[in-house]
Amino acid sequence: MTQSATHVLDHFDLFRQPEYKEMLENKRKNFENPVAAEELERVREWTKTGEYREQNFARSALTVNPAKACQPLGAVFAAVGFESTLPFVHGSQGCVAYYRSHFSRHFKEPCSCVSSSMTEDAAVFGGLNNMIDGLANAHSLYKPKMISVSTTCMAEVIGDDLNAFIKTAKEKGSVPADFDVPFAHTPAFVGSHITGYDNVMKGIFEHFWDGKANTAPKLERVPNEKINFIGGFDGYTVGNLREIKRIFNLMQVGYTILGDNSDVWDTPTDGTFRMYDGGTTLEDAANAVHAKATISMQQYCTEKTLAFIGTHGQEVLALNHPVGVAATDKFLMEVSRITGKGIPEELAKERGRVVDAIADSSAHIHGKKFALYGDPDLCLGLAGFLLELGAEPTHVLATNGNKEWIERVQALFDSSPFGKNCHVYAGKDLWHMRSLLFTEPVDFLIGNTYGKFLERDTGTPLIRIGFPIFDRHHHHRYPVWGYQGAMNVLVWILDKIFDEIDKNTIVPGKTDFSFDIIR
Amino acid sequence: MSSLSTKLQEVFEEPACGKNQGKSEKERKKGCTKQLSPGAAAGGCAFDGAKIALQPITDVAHLVHGPIACEGNSWDNRHALSSGAETYRMGFTTDINELDVVYGAEKRLYKAIKEIIEKYDPPAVFVYQTCVTALIGDDIEVVCKAASKKFNKPVIPVNSPGFAGVKNLGNKLGGEALLDHVIGTQEPDYTTPYDINIIGEYNLSGELWQVKPLLDAMGVRLLACISGDAKYKEVAYSHRAKASMMVCSKAMINIARKMQERYQIPFFEGSFYGIGDMSDSLREIARLLVERGAPKDIIERTENLIASEEARAWARIAPYKERLQGKKVLLITGGVKSWSVVAALQEAGMEIVGTSVKKSTKEDKDRIKEIMGDEAHMIDDMTPREMYKMLKEARADIMLSGGRSQFVALKAKMPWLDINQERHHAYAGYEGMVKLVEEIDKTLYNPVWELVRAKAPWESPDAATV
Repeated sequence: MTQSATHVLDHFDLFRQPEYKEMLENKRKNFENPVAAEELERVREWTKTGEYREQNFARSALTVNPAKACQPLGAVFAAVGFESTLPFVHGSQGCVAYYRSHFSRHFKEPCSCVSSSMTEDAAVFGGLNNMIDGLANAHSLYKPKMISVSTTCMAEVIGDDLNAFIKTAKEKGSVPADFDVPFAHTPAFVGSHITGYDNVMKGIFEHFWDGKANTAPKLERVPNEKINFIGGFDGYTVGNLREIKRIFNLMQVGYTILGDNSDVWDTPTDGTFRMYDGGTTLEDAANAVHAKATISMQQYCTEKTLAFIGTHGQEVLALNHPVGVAATDKFLMEVSRITGKGIPEELAKERGRVVDAIADSSAHIHGKKFALYGDPDLCLGLAGFLLELGAEPTHVLATNGNKEWIERVQALFDSSPFGKNCHVYAGKDLWHMRSLLFTEPVDFLIGNTYGKFLERDTGTPLIRIGFPIFDRHHHHRYPVWGYQGAMNVLVWILDKIFDEIDKNTIVPGKTDFSFDIIR
Repeated sequence: MSSLSTKLQEVFEEPACGKNQGKSEKERKKGCTKQLSPGAAAGGCAFDGAKIALQPITDVAHLVHGPIACEGNSWDNRHALSSGAETYRMGFTTDINELDVVYGAEKRLYKAIKEIIEKYDPPAVFVYQTCVTALIGDDIEVVCKAASKKFNKPVIPVNSPGFAGVKNLGNKLGGEALLDHVIGTQEPDYTTPYDINIIGEYNLSGELWQVKPLLDAMGVRLLACISGDAKYKEVAYSHRAKASMMVCSKAMINIARKMQERYQIPFFEGSFYGIGDMSDSLREIARLLVERGAPKDIIERTENLIASEEARAWARIAPYKERLQGKKVLLITGGVKSWSVVAALQEAGMEIVGTSVKKSTKEDKDRIKEIMGDEAHMIDDMTPREMYKMLKEARADIMLSGGRSQFVALKAKMPWLDINQERHHAYAGYEGMVKLVEEIDKTLYNPVWELVRAKAPWESPDAATV
């Protein structure tokens, strides 16, 4: 017997035992109607060809391995960035379980979020009762200061009207009349998680600034010297926002982080469970209307939000997930321009240090080819940094990218000699990427955890940068923004480059002629 | 006189060293190592020199007798590559402690040798003396002798403690250990009229392997390389070679000279760096072999090989000309490299604005004058500060140097390329020169230099604020 009570094998080893090997082999042979091994091999090889790539890119209906998530995921991300705010997703509860596990697996933190648990009868008769009961229960069970309502597809398909429902629920006493319940329609069949983020952010400011769904007077803007900062949907939000705060403090800039997830997704283990922690206070969210300007780090996460804020008389500025020296320079210069504050010596030094680090290691990155996928802004930021390093972002792919994004990426390519042979792909998925990696191979792949299948298939080493990262821990605690962030990204890229050199030289007596201590 | 000081005197009086012969009796007595000035930065010690000279012998165990620092800091840091055994990369040390210092560590050394032989059974064990064990009076020669006898295996004492002098001296002391205990102790299975030794080549980054195919094509058999990618037995029977080539001009001259004396093996000094020099070396090998009785047709074979290899190399360098034209290069290296790469760089359109001659011999300097004419900027001993100034004033576009000077260049915002031991590319042979030009091109055009030289945006005059 393979398995015995005194020595139980785990899943790594159990199925490698002869009994299991034999059983699986028999099962395959007798019951799975297998094709001949040569045929299997032929097809496998065929999927690596240019011919297959053509057919793959001609694919019109089927998406295989998409590199994007749905609107409500972004909605939940945005909502938990506010003080004691409970995200409430109107729709089916299964979807919500996905969002919670998704964030928990990435941030290694609990993610509090509820749904209105719509069922079949709600689908037929509308989800009003679920909203009424749901808001009442959520309010009394979890004692939030604000409930941010978004939707799943189910509620959207049957056309539930959030504004009216919330009003009715308040009338029915689910929550006090003056309790803040901002809302946003976030159907998954439109856009992606970055759209959901955008919708909820806009919904929250609309709520606070424009009279709380006609229950309060609209806010009158009294301009002050502060600036607002929006990070966007960002897997590195914990490290990034702390870094941004540090930079603003160094520059002595008055600021409000709008949507601050840095504490709720990094709570200490000290015996206290914090269902809510940190976040933008509701007061700050309201007062943000008075700010001088709003800077968004991710244009494509905040298109509607910034347009809305812009109509309230502030300057709005959108960046594209700045990573690297030039991108950080631009960010700091904009902050400096808007606020009139200078760049402190400490930041100037940090800049010098990262330039130094890049110079120290430049030879190893120079001319290396990278494939890259992720959210549109992240792609722009990372591609820019790669060009800065003398690397070639050969394939840049965003499933949730659009035509305008393609033009921006192309413009970025055109700005550098290293962008000459680079290509941008919007609306494509990771199965397209697979074809790209086979037909136009690169040295490294940058992407999220799902890239590991591409790494296995194509042998392209994966550098994990993006969202979600499930199979490596704690990278979200490190910033990728600012000069420190550039340093981190540089080190992650270099680590993989050196790991690969070691891996290629590790077999004793065969390849280890250059298995060296110093790289 | 202790055996160490005898050895030192011997090495100092190296007759084949032109520099030494040019000195007065009194000066010679002082020894050939420049006295170090305390408080000024200096290079490696004699132990390091001996270790790097011998460590490339791949199948033996290199045991460092001393406290952890000596082996701990020098373990496998040279990229000297092996085509077979990996024993040489194991970090063996006696790692002595306080009690050993008080009571002596000879027993510990003996036990360490015993354990190595029991566990690894290498063809030989090299034992390196260090400052501390030398100071407390451990006699490694006696211990090695006893261990040799007991275990019936060569155990070679390398008596080159750090305080004996600088790295270059250590190279020679390492060579002495080979002469005293290794060379001439075994016989090759067969010999040919085409057997040569290459002395002073360490196969860093596999450079020997870029040269070996050329020797193969000439029909020359490399009997032993001392010590790059060498096996113990090869060094042991190297005395049967017909001729030797000495590569690194000063490091192992004593081996070449004494082998000539003892075994009548003629040698010449040559270089694998630079296209013309590579060709000259091959010619010289052929000439010496014919002189020693090899059939004359090897000369024609060699010329044919040189013609085709040179043409191929120049053709591959030509495309870089346009990009490299007029780029100013500062060479901070030593020995043969101070002139041997110059021709190739000039051929690729570059201008040499300076070359350091700190570790170069008089011959090296003559060569520099010959190649670079009046414009030769020989830099004897450049301090980092001067180097910085030179780079800063943009009198050079790129610096080629060892890793230690790297950071001076970077701080001066200057492209830099490693051409010493920690480099990752092999620059020897025709192949290597093409690679060097390619690497220079890559380095010069790396976008980081633009970044490095550009001011931070808030420092430029038209910055909006600040």
